Amino acid sequence: MKSSFLHSVVIATTFLCSIAQAEDVTVNRLLASQCAQCHGTNGHAVGDMDGLDDESFKDLLEDLMDMRGEDRPDDIMDHQALGYTDDQIRRIASFYALISGKSEGTGESEHEEENEKEHEHD
Amino acid sequence: MTKSSNTPSSKKNESLKTTRRNFLKSAAALPVMAVAPGLLHAASSEHVVVIGGGFGGATVAKYIRLWSNNSIQVTLVDPKALHTSCIMSNLVVNNRLRLDQLKITYDSLRDTHGVTVLRDKAIDIDPAAHTVRLKAGGNLHYDKLILAPGIGFKPLEGWDKKVMPHAWIAGNQTTLLKRQVSRLAQDSTFIMTIPRSPYRCPPGPYERACLIADHFVRKGISETDEARVVILDANEDIQAERETFSKAFDGIYRNIIDYVPNTEVFAADASTMALDTSFGEYRADAINIIPNQRAAWLLRKTGLTDGGDWAPVDPVTYESSVYPDIHIIGDSQATKQPKSGHMANSQAKVCADAIVRLMKGHAVDSKERLDNLTTNSACFSPITYDEASWLSANFAYDKSSGRMKLEHIGEAHEWSKGNYKEMFAWASNLFNDSFI
Repeated sequence: MKSSFLHSVVIATTFLCSIAQAEDVTVNRLLASQCAQCHGTNGHAVGDMDGLDDESFKDLLEDLMDMRGEDRPDDIMDHQALGYTDDQIRRIASFYALISGKSEGTGESEHEEENEKEHEHD
Repeated sequence: MTKSSNTPSSKKNESLKTTRRNFLKSAAALPVMAVAPGLLHAASSEHVVVIGGGFGGATVAKYIRLWSNNSIQVTLVDPKALHTSCIMSNLVVNNRLRLDQLKITYDSLRDTHGVTVLRDKAIDIDPAAHTVRLKAGGNLHYDKLILAPGIGFKPLEGWDKKVMPHAWIAGNQTTLLKRQVSRLAQDSTFIMTIPRSPYRCPPGPYERACLIADHFVRKGISETDEARVVILDANEDIQAERETFSKAFDGIYRNIIDYVPNTEVFAADASTMALDTSFGEYRADAINIIPNQRAAWLLRKTGLTDGGDWAPVDPVTYESSVYPDIHIIGDSQATKQPKSGHMANSQAKVCADAIVRLMKGHAVDSKERLDNLTTNSACFSPITYDEASWLSANFAYDKSSGRMKLEHIGEAHEWSKGNYKEMFAWASNLFNDSFI
């Protein structure tokens, strides 16, 4: 797994990049549509498959970066994530955040949720 | 895409309460907010004709409507009222699914997305006049034509598909093969021929061989029985999921499967159930001929294959290298990407995006677009009655060569019941993304 520090760096860097330059949202849409074969059109999955239409930018970015960072990729998504660059993963997360309404900085990451649970026992 | 399960938000709970029709409408409306204004509002009466209603054709028709905000007219032409999916069809052969469970209507393309669906057969194309001639009579004019007709078979001397089914285009052939497999006894020999690459669904033949071997196992075959599944492969080695299928052939199926690479089939004889091959004559109780393949007939007739087996295209738009305004996606096109329904869906989106841009006067070759032009393939292969493996491949556009380049490929370390279950979730979503 990549460290949470590295996650923070990636998220901060990509967030700054997204502010610095306007990008073609339709390019992101095309890129993100390549997830839809498994996760449904616009991320609306059916059946026993995770949807992407409720994902925050931060959570999806972190999940994908985690998958790419697996020491021994053994899940099909670990391998799919390895097919994309950092910037492409950021663009995919950015597109689904438009659908969920949970754009940069508004998501509550699993790490934060886990930390909160841990602190409940403090 | 995430490994973790999501906590449903209130928004998601609300969406669950909506009717199916409303859900589909809201799904269709979503891209609007993400589309650049220039692409959104240009009124248009341009007409796109799509030939072939498989995974590629259905997806490209749907996504052109979605991404043009319904401003581009799309007509889908297919001679059949329903599409029968090749994906999952090996599970009909081993009796895990019924064929009717793989039949998909075009109702949603027509009713939800506004695609005009014509049940007819395209029999001729005039690239200069921009027309398609239909079997029922009359010509259909197009501004852009998209061909997604699947595969064609190369001839094989003496072959009668009613005796030796291919079952490589799902339908009656699948049912015939299922019937033949169900009659196999504990001393039967079953032969399958695998075509020279490239062919549709690279792991498919090996998967089918495993399921037929599993059929023997479940009939209670012992090591002293004579039942055999003989694989005559035209290629020098297993063409997909090599690790997985090698392990199955040399492991759980070692007493049943004989894998024979580098085998060319010259002729078939239905009366004696024999094959003439580069290793001599083979005879069997049932023979599954999966013949050598090439682009579909209509493309060859129109000259779109440029003298080769497959139709050359520019993967930035999937426009033909031979004729302008004709785009080719899926199995018949000549890029080195694998030929599969999942990949056809993937290419269809690149093509749909290009068509919308071209018709609205936007560039298809901006650096930003080319840097992010990707396709992928993912598929699951049943290995036993209730276990499956998977294969994953990602491609990205390489500007220096102008081709799609394999970026990453991976296969399952082992087959499992979990993968078998996930296979159905994958297929359901792929069917929905393409046809619903």
